[in-house]
Amino acid sequence: MTGVPELELRGLGSVRGGHEALRGVSLSLDPGETLFVMGGAGSGKSILIKTAAGIALPTEGDVLYKGKPLSRLSRREMTAFRKASGFVFQDAALWSNQSIFDNLALPVRLHEPAWDAAEVERAVRRAAELVGCAQELRARPAELSSGERKLVGLARALVLDPELLFMDDPTSALDEASAARVPGIVDSLKSRGRSILIASAVSEFSSRCADSIAVLLDGRLAAIGSYAEAAAWTDPLVRGVTGRLKPRAAEAWTGGLAGAWVNAVADGTAMAEEKSEDKGKDGR
Amino acid sequence: MLDRIGSAAIRGFDEFLYSLGFFVQVLKESALLFRRGQVGFRVLVMQILFTGIEALGIAAAMALAIGAAINLIGSSLLAEFGQGKLMYTILIVVIARELGPLLTAFIVIARSGTAIATELGGMAVGHEIEAYVAVGVNPISYLAAPRFLGVVVSMLVLDIYFNVFGLMGSFAVVQLLRPIGFEEYFRSLFAALAPGDLLLGFAKSLVFGVIISVVSLYRGFAVEGSVTEVPVAGIRAVGSSFMLCILAEVVMTAILYLG
Repeated sequence: MTGVPELELRGLGSVRGGHEALRGVSLSLDPGETLFVMGGAGSGKSILIKTAAGIALPTEGDVLYKGKPLSRLSRREMTAFRKASGFVFQDAALWSNQSIFDNLALPVRLHEPAWDAAEVERAVRRAAELVGCAQELRARPAELSSGERKLVGLARALVLDPELLFMDDPTSALDEASAARVPGIVDSLKSRGRSILIASAVSEFSSRCADSIAVLLDGRLAAIGSYAEAAAWTDPLVRGVTGRLKPRAAEAWTGGLAGAWVNAVADGTAMAEEKSEDKGKDGR
Repeated sequence: MLDRIGSAAIRGFDEFLYSLGFFVQVLKESALLFRRGQVGFRVLVMQILFTGIEALGIAAAMALAIGAAINLIGSSLLAEFGQGKLMYTILIVVIARELGPLLTAFIVIARSGTAIATELGGMAVGHEIEAYVAVGVNPISYLAAPRFLGVVVSMLVLDIYFNVFGLMGSFAVVQLLRPIGFEEYFRSLFAALAPGDLLLGFAKSLVFGVIISVVSLYRGFAVEGSVTEVPVAGIRAVGSSFMLCILAEVVMTAILYLG
């Protein structure tokens, strides 16, 4: 560890449509850390995470990636940042004129131009299997449900196995089974040392995966600290956001099972297991 | 009152500067598109197909009708004053130099200007443009530059077709109504045709192509978050493109005749 944060936000401000969406937000994300940004609707979570990812420009302050401001990265450095980071959009944001396969393949083709078609397909299938959307590769986004689109959006962010992941409300619009799979995927990424910044208002998800919690209230950073510290926060407005966080021992989510499945996909055994399971079902 | 006028003027000036910066970016990325030979070529080909090829029918029909009308009116009216030969000069001035580029621009505004603005607006609302940024694709390079080049090239192609159909194709239409000698028609036509007329027409097409594409792209990218902004972007793209093309036409014609 070099001591330099993976990502650092310094005095970030953002004005959107005349409204001050972010005011002086400063926080940092260490390598391998999972930081949850929590807050109510309209608190500025989405704009914060988009600004942190360099998708939206701040009106003041800086975003530093490994100690260097995004605004000063050269074209090559910015390409490297894009390759090393993935972004999960709140509403999937799939390219509607492309198939699911092409949606997943575009980042690979862009950042790994030397890969042949078979290698691209392998990467696409691996990411699709990771989130459970491998059956939909030929479809267009409009043919999928909003939950399925969301899973494809997650697969697109993971297709290059990024070291830094931004997730904007990744469990919204998902059915219960799919939503339960997301914490397992996050767990798996954490176990492989990935740095993750997640905007979410779902306490159960944060309870399971967060190393640190930041609370946004009306665009201001109202509290930030480790998950254990969050239990001691007393400000009633902050408690209004974090009050439903559960003690670590409670395992209300089934993400552990999904995490095991994710790791199995990563080492290539899941497909074989799935096939043998199917055979078993047929047998019954 | 003064406050409102002042802030509107400042907003307008800001928007002008922003659109100028946008135009420079589009020009820069268009130049790089050729150097990089990237995936934007597919978008470029699709844009030329949609703007330049699929609009051929309507451009040809319009050119034939106008060319035939000028032929019919000119040959009877001008002959009364003993100026029958002037018909060919009028035909060239109207088709190749003045009306051809402008009408072609109107066709492109109606078909492609609206399509570009609303398509990009829809993509902005669906956060698809942000998704391109997130994976490392420059939206100006991938979405704007190929559409810009596609519209400019298509304007030139359509203008050439408009000239061909208006000047030559209309001869066939006139034959059905009032026969003119083939040799006489084309000899007189080519005698009246100066390369400058064609070049000025092409220059106008180029300028109109730049205006239509940049305005439509700018309006499309300006959509922020609401679906209702998408049709507004289309309407604004059409309105601004019409106004700017007519203004450019007046300025270029004034320079030609007064300069």
